[in-house]
Amino acid sequence: MIYYHPSDGDVYSTSIKYRPQTCFLMTKIGQPIPLVVQEIRSVIMPILTEYSMRLIDADSITSGKDFLFKIWQLIISVPVGIAIIYEGISQQTIANIFYELGFMQAYGKEIIVIKAGDIAIPSDFIRTEYITYDDAFIRHFRDFMNSLDEQADHYVLLADELENNPLISIDYLKRAYLLTGNKEYQDRARLIHKSCDFKGRAKNSVESLMIRF
Amino acid sequence: MRGRVIMSKKKDIVQVKNPKSGHYVKIDRDEGKIIGHKKSEGPYKGVPIARKKSGDKKK
Repeated sequence: MIYYHPSDGDVYSTSIKYRPQTCFLMTKIGQPIPLVVQEIRSVIMPILTEYSMRLIDADSITSGKDFLFKIWQLIISVPVGIAIIYEGISQQTIANIFYELGFMQAYGKEIIVIKAGDIAIPSDFIRTEYITYDDAFIRHFRDFMNSLDEQADHYVLLADELENNPLISIDYLKRAYLLTGNKEYQDRARLIHKSCDFKGRAKNSVESLMIRF
Repeated sequence: MRGRVIMSKKKDIVQVKNPKSGHYVKIDRDEGKIIGHKKSEGPYKGVPIARKKSGDKKK
């Protein structure tokens, strides 16, 4: 995959530090954090742990670089995005959340929107999966977590069937690896790369960067 | 005299079910690309369904 730097639009040709089995949380993170957000976080944390998933947000890493670049690096490094939106959320926060969700969707990440109270989903996201924070929330959230395994299997299957298109095949293996942490998919991607005639390419060529996950 | 028979290579096409949409997608394995998304329920007729290779294990 070719990445473009979010601030200048140039091709980003540096290795990405990937974070397998990690979810990126998009919600209000600055104080004061609404009670409902704290509550949802405390409900999903043990479920994520059960599925061997970590939860990070924009505050999880500190960097001297600009905030958007930090968010962008986090987003492309993880397989899953979880957004929490709630009644009374500020326009600024919700705009940031849906900007990041759009980012994640475009980069092939799995995303879920958790909706608490009376709040409308923008029409562009009408097909995006969302779950309501209600009595059935835990069951629905578990359904989402279960679907990730199935999704990873699907990516591996597509990687197999699309082997004549090596870069796409490798990208599907990367997505499966990020979801599962299964190192076998890294090995398989390297084998595909090795079988192609990429000799003499630059170390930071698109095809060389693609197998660094 | 018999007419010349032009032999065309049979295309290697399979289908897989997309778990997100629940619909089948058709893949041309020779070309290495997805060539169709089924709009209606159920698989394409006469196109083999690709399955995950056994031996793929979780971590």
